[in-house]
Formats: sequence, C-alpha cells, structure tokens
Amino acid sequence: MTKGKQEIILALLIAYEIALFSVTGQNFFSLGNFFECIRLGVEIGLLALALTPVIVTGGIDLSVGSIMGLCAVSFGWLWRDAGVPAGWAVLVTLAISLLGGALNGALIARLNVSPLIVTLGTYSLFRGLAESITRAARNYSGFPGGFLFLGQGYLGGIVPTQTIFLVVAAVGFWLLLHRSVIGRGLYAIGHGLEAARYAAIPVKRRIGLVYLLSGLASGFAAIVYVAHLGQAKSDAGTGYELIAITAVVLGGTSIFGGSGTIGGTLLGLVAIVVLQNGLRLSGWPAELAGILTGILLILTIAIERAGKRTRWALASVLALAVLIGGVGLQARHAGSAETVTIGVMPKAKGDPYFISCRAGAEEAAKQIHVNLIWDGPTGLDAAKQNEVIEGWITRRVDAISVAVENAAGISTVLRKARAQGIKVTTWDADAETNARDYFVNQATPSAIGYTLIDEAARLMHGSGEFAIITGALSAANQNIWISFMRQRVKEKYPGLKLVTVRPSDDDRDKAFQETQTLLKVYPKIKVIVGISAPAVPGAGEAVKQSGRQDVQVIGLSLPNLCKPYVHDGSIEAVVLWNTKDLGYLAVWAPAALVRGGLRPGDTTLSAGRLGVVKLQGDQIVLGAPVIFRKDNIDRFKF
Amino acid sequence: MKFRPDREWPSLLALAVLYIFLALMVPRFFEAENLRDLALSNVSVLLVAMGMTLVIVVAQIDISVGSLFAVVSVACGISAKAGIPILPLAAVAVLAGAALGAANGGLVSYVKAPSIVATLATMVAWREALRWSTGGAWLEGLPSGFQWFGLGQLGGEIAIVGSTLTLFVALWWASRNVAALREVYATGSDSEAARLAGIAVTKVVFWVFVMTGALTGLAALVNAVRFSDVPANSGNNLELKAIAAVVVGGTPITGGRGSLPGTLIGVALLGSIGPALTFLGINPYWEKAIQGAIILVTVLLDAMSARPAKALASR
Repeated sequence: MTKGKQEIILALLIAYEIALFSVTGQNFFSLGNFFECIRLGVEIGLLALALTPVIVTGGIDLSVGSIMGLCAVSFGWLWRDAGVPAGWAVLVTLAISLLGGALNGALIARLNVSPLIVTLGTYSLFRGLAESITRAARNYSGFPGGFLFLGQGYLGGIVPTQTIFLVVAAVGFWLLLHRSVIGRGLYAIGHGLEAARYAAIPVKRRIGLVYLLSGLASGFAAIVYVAHLGQAKSDAGTGYELIAITAVVLGGTSIFGGSGTIGGTLLGLVAIVVLQNGLRLSGWPAELAGILTGILLILTIAIERAGKRTRWALASVLALAVLIGGVGLQARHAGSAETVTIGVMPKAKGDPYFISCRAGAEEAAKQIHVNLIWDGPTGLDAAKQNEVIEGWITRRVDAISVAVENAAGISTVLRKARAQGIKVTTWDADAETNARDYFVNQATPSAIGYTLIDEAARLMHGSGEFAIITGALSAANQNIWISFMRQRVKEKYPGLKLVTVRPSDDDRDKAFQETQTLLKVYPKIKVIVGISAPAVPGAGEAVKQSGRQDVQVIGLSLPNLCKPYVHDGSIEAVVLWNTKDLGYLAVWAPAALVRGGLRPGDTTLSAGRLGVVKLQGDQIVLGAPVIFRKDNIDRFKF
Repeated sequence: MKFRPDREWPSLLALAVLYIFLALMVPRFFEAENLRDLALSNVSVLLVAMGMTLVIVVAQIDISVGSLFAVVSVACGISAKAGIPILPLAAVAVLAGAALGAANGGLVSYVKAPSIVATLATMVAWREALRWSTGGAWLEGLPSGFQWFGLGQLGGEIAIVGSTLTLFVALWWASRNVAALREVYATGSDSEAARLAGIAVTKVVFWVFVMTGALTGLAALVNAVRFSDVPANSGNNLELKAIAAVVVGGTPITGGRGSLPGTLIGVALLGSIGPALTFLGINPYWEKAIQGAIILVTVLLDAMSARPAKALASR
C-alpha cells in the first residue's frame, strides 16, 4: 500500500460525514458535541490503539472486551467487598489486566499457538471468570466521587476527564510504533517472522510485549468504563473487540501484519464515532451505523486496491449514494416535523417485549402529534443507554422517557438532562427518584415475582420441584425478580423447591435446549418458569416435544409468542401487563409534562385511550399484571 | 476411507475423558433420548462447521455465518408464510445461503479484501439490515406443513439427522477423493504453488465461501423446522461456536490441513459441555470459563505435540 493513501481517503470521508451531519444533525457542529464524541470514543479508542501494534505484528487479540469485563468486576470486588481504597484497587486491577495480557502473550509467543485461537479461548475464559466471580449477578456501584470524576468529570469545565487517557495512550503508542527501535521491529515481525529473527530481533519478547500492552490498555479501558457508567458488572465491554478491530482495519492497518499507523487507527475511530453520533443527532435509524460501517470497510479497501480511474468512480458513487440517501432520509424526517420531540428508550430494541411496547408508543405519538424517537441498545447494555441519552441531550429533545437498565449508571446523565430543562420520565424500570419527574410503573418487581410463584404453587398444589429459565445471567431485572421469587417461596410455600436457574441469553433456541436438559436431569420437575420473553415459547416447545404431560410451563412473555402453546396445553399461563398500554403511557406522560397536562401534585392523569390513570406520588400506575390463559389469551393482540 | 487421528487426538482424548467421566458420574447422560436431543441441537452447528472447515483449510475465515444464518432463517419464515411448499423452500434456503456466501467470496476473491475484514463487514451489515427490516418481530403463525417438514416429529427428526449425516459422509469422502476439493487443500497449503500447478486459486476460494453459505442456509432451515415460529435474531455467536469446533478438532488455522472427522469431534465435544455441566449440577456461571479452558487445553495439547513453525504470525 502506498503510504498514507488510506489516511487521505479516511480524512476525506470524515470531512464528508461532518459536512453532511452539520446540515442534518441538530447541534452536531458544536464544541460540546465534539467533546461528547471524544468521551464516547475513549474506551474503544484505548482498545483500538493497543490492537494496532498487535495487528502490525500479524496477530490479533479477541479477548480485550473480556479482559475489560474481568477487570471491571475485579475492581468492584476489590473496592466494595475487599474494602481496598479506590486508588489501590485501580492499581491491582491494572495488574490483573497485565496478567491477562501476559497469559495471551505467553501462549502465543512461548507455545507458538495461533493468536486467533488463543484469544478465542481467553475470550471465553476471561468473560467466564468475570461471571463466576460475581455469580454473574452482582452489580457494583456507589463508587466515590473522586473515582467517578475519571469518567464523568470535565477538566476546565469542558474537556471530559478521560480524554487524558486517550491522548496519553495515543502519544505512547505513536512513540512506540513510529519512533522507537522496538516499533520498527514490530513491523519487521509482521512482514516476516523468520527474517526478523535473523535480524536479531527478539521476536518472542516483542510479541509478548504487544499482548501485554493490549491487556493493560483493556484494564485502563475498564477503569474508564466503570467510572463513566458508575457501575461494574460482568458484561462490561461485551462486543467491544469487534468495534475496536473495525476501527484499526478501517484505519488502514493490514490484517496480515507489517503495515499500519496509529494516525490511521485514530482516523478510523473518528469515522466510526462520528457516524454513530451523527446518525443519532439526525434522527436516522441507528441500524444504519452498522450497515454503513460494513460498507465503508469494504469500500475503503476497494478504493485503495483499485486503479486510479476506478478509484474515482468508486469514490463518487459512494459520495452520491450517501448524498441521495441523506437527502431522502432528511425529506422523510422533515415530513414528520412536530412541535414536541420525545426520545423514548427501551432496555433492548431487539426484545419482543419492547417491540410490542413500541406499537403503543407510536399509537400515542400519532394521536397527540409528538415527534417520537425510539432508540436504544439492541441488547441489554447500560453503557449504550447512557450514550443514546447524551445524544438526545445534545439534540435538545423536549422530553426523555427511559426504561432503565441500570439505575446508578443512568441517573447522572438523566440529572444532567433535567438541569438543562428536559423533562424526564422513566417507564418499565425506574432510575433514582431525583433523576426523573415521573415513573410509569407497570408492576413492581415484587408483584411480578410473587404472581409467578403464586401461579406455580397453585399448579403444583403447594409442593414439588420447579426451575427457572432466565434471560442473560447478568440481566439486572431478571435477577431482582428471581430474588423476590426465592423470597416468596421461603415465606409462603415451604413445599416448593427451586432446583436450578438456567440462562437462555434471550435466545429461544437456547431456552429450548436448556429445558430439554432440565427435564432429564430433574425428572421430578413439575413447573418451569421462563422469565424472558423468548424463553417461554422455547420452554413450551421443549415440553411439547418431550411429550411430558406432567410438566407445566409458565412465565413472563408476550401472548402472541405463546398462543399456540397455550392452546395445545404445553404452556399453562403467561403473566404480563398490557405492553401496548405501557408504551402508550411512556409517550403520553412526558408529552403531558411538556405541555402542562401533568403538574406536580396531580393525583390523576387523563391519558387518552386509557381514560383516567391514577397517580401515586410521582408514580403513574398502569395496573396489576394480567394472567393470560387458554380462555382469555385470544383477546390480546400483542 | 481410513481415519488416522494424527491431528485429532487431543480433541478425541478430551472427548473420551469427558464421556468416561460422565459415564461414571451421571450415566443418565447416555440415555437414548438425551443423545437424540443433543444430536438434534447440534446438527446446525455441524453443518456450519463443515463449511467452516473448508474455509479454514483454504486459509481463510468466515465470521459472518451467524448473520447469514439469521437472514436465511427469516427468509425461510417469510417464504413459508407466503405459502411456498417445503421442498422448494429448502431450495430457497440453500440458494439464499449460497448467494450470501457468494457475496463473501466475491469480496475475498475479486475485491481482494482479507477474509476476516470482508466477513466482519458482512457480519455487521447483514445483522443490522435484518434488524432494521424486521424491527425484531418474529414470524408467527407459519403453516402446519413447515414444522418437521410436515413429516411429524419423529419423521422430521430422522430426516434432519439422516440428511446431515449423509451430507457429512459425502463431504468427508469428497474431501479426500474429489479433485475439486483436493484443490482446496492445495490452495490453502500454498496458494502460489497451487496457482503455478494450474489451480485457479481465486475460483477455489470463491466457491468455498459459496459452499459455506449454502451449508449455513441448510443449517438455518433444519434449525427453523424444529419450531413453529421463526425469531428474528437467531444464530448469535454461531461463528464462534463453529470456528472453535473446527480448531478444537485439530484443523490448524494456518490452512492446508484439517479433516472433517476432527470437526465432528469438535462439535460433539463443545456441544456436550453445556448439557454435561447441567447433568453434573455445576452452576451455569462457570460454563463460559470452562469452555474457554477446554479450548485452550486442547489447543495446547496440540501445540506441544507438533509445533508448526509458522503458526506464530499467520492465521
């Protein structure tokens, strides 16, 4: 590759992105948003910078995200459970990240195993250790202010604190790769291992070093992540390795080794972060970020490989396509110009439960002429929730309505939104009470847990074994429900025995397999309780295929997903509230707040199709959960 | 066909140790019903891993198979809802998979994008495009002829396992006896030498991706027909499962070598661990750590027995 070609393509691309989003994005072109972009890029940036020398040597490190998870929970454990002061806990955490990197390095350099395989193994191993340390459920928060400043504070009132980490890392890795003898050696290794060895480069030590550094950078990324979010959980950094690798490769580093620059990696990082941020501020579908990143990866390679004439053709096709797409989207967007804009966030966009809430949200938005932005993480991801809300604050939406994944983590951002005059409501799950105006409460965790156990006890006539199929092991909601379920069993139904809790990762096929195994391992099980929407039909299908008439499935799911099983008797009952109504209120309440239809001290709220809804203090109560059975399930269409 | 486990022995050993341990501790693991369920839940991984074996033998990688799987699953659901009968629907699945595989192959062979980058791009792009177009909604209310190919549970199960095993044996035989597949080994072993020997290496690589796509499409179909609905987000982490199975099965990531029986052992080993832990009553939060450890141990056994000198920097 001609030196610098990819960098020029990328710089042009970024300039193009900035120009486009300055026109289409609200408040995109501002100093505040510039620094927000940097803040969002720090964790991925640290990983991408460290991965550059790794990939330059022809290696790869898939375990960086998992090291982040392990370090995050280690830090939380040290600080809270072991009582180590935060400063020391940071140091020990960084030492652990070095150990992780050292394990990768030792296996790759000493034992000659391919880096892809080693880090594929440690990818599982480190994440698994993080889960086993915390039993996947523990969630550390309440860190001291001085520590949180690292991830949430501003230097001089405007520059996010964690920028320092990124700048130091960028300079450090630049010096290492481009201004040191060691760096030249890394390129030599990437070009040809044998030649490098004959040139008296200590190949094994150098390769060990790059993995050590990538471990250490992951440790720093974990510290920034925990301070940024205010919580430490075993799922920290999930999927970050792929985004970081994307940034490196987009930046022109050859995956085969031997070439690549720190400057290129930074440009790749900027291209990705600006794309995500700009799409959000323009109100365009977030899925476009993934699609466009994929296209960019291919196109930058194609442009770089192509001849001169083809290159210009490709580049202009790209520019034209983006322009047309942008104008088209903008036109559609402009068509829906309403006076009030409300950002409504589910916990996970991909979850059937929230998909059905969305229908109600859109109904309300249409009815009362509100510009609805429905956006959030695809799967459960507290960090992504914060990121989206930061974007909404920059966009200056009128109100924000969130289904909160992590109360401690999101409340800081929500308070910031309120301080800027944005109305904040929560729905489905609450934030800290001073971080929002109202909470749309569909059912308390205790009501959910109790209802499920009462139903199970009824089916089992008060005694026998049952099992739970949950979502992800680390899902906060599910873990709270499980604790209330255990409590109910202990207090009211001594005859019931919970034999095991198995994860389904919100995947129907996995829930199916777990249930099949459960039925064989615990043949005396009478009831299986699924507490994630896809888990209940999965369990139902497994029971149906086993032909076991003596096992009942109940759970928390959507009537539509379970209807066939409820009718053929493999699912006994599904517990849920009306998700459409919940989505409806999630838009109606903040709109009423903005327009003055809801004021502090009100005891009722007139909510359109739902009639008059009761308020309890600052909670808007939707009503008790509904139990769907054979006789009533067909009346519900969601 | 002779099977000499010279590279497969670490995984074979690990599998033997696991099964002997299980036989002593929880003999119920080997009851026919459990073995049948295990086989059924792993056929789709096996089909994908068969394709992945060829991809890795030809010294490439494909991390987009999970997204391909999801796209084809949804395509199957849409076609079934549109009233397409099951046999043409099988053709739709295989062809759709092959077409998606051809996109990967085209990027790798003709645009000359490194396979890990090309399939990273398609992995992200297809998954997000699918999410955008379906909005995450499941395909419900499929016609009754869809589940189990309309053959009933037992008939469907026999059809799925039977056809997968037939295909496996056929591909295994072909990989040792058919010139076109020997060219895959030649290309992966030394692409330049293969080219000089008159092999059209770009085409070979292209068709390996097409074949992997087709096998992934088939995998999506045989998985989808086991249920009555099609969810919009299936196949998560399938690429990791398939790659891990291939590698644990003794196929070196450097290409040019590797065998399908090894992959079968790898699929059996990794597919048994999860249920085995449940049978042993081990808490599920240990599962990932144990899986990671098993991958590392088998790979280490392999590394210590035979050390390929070039493994260090290439993949």
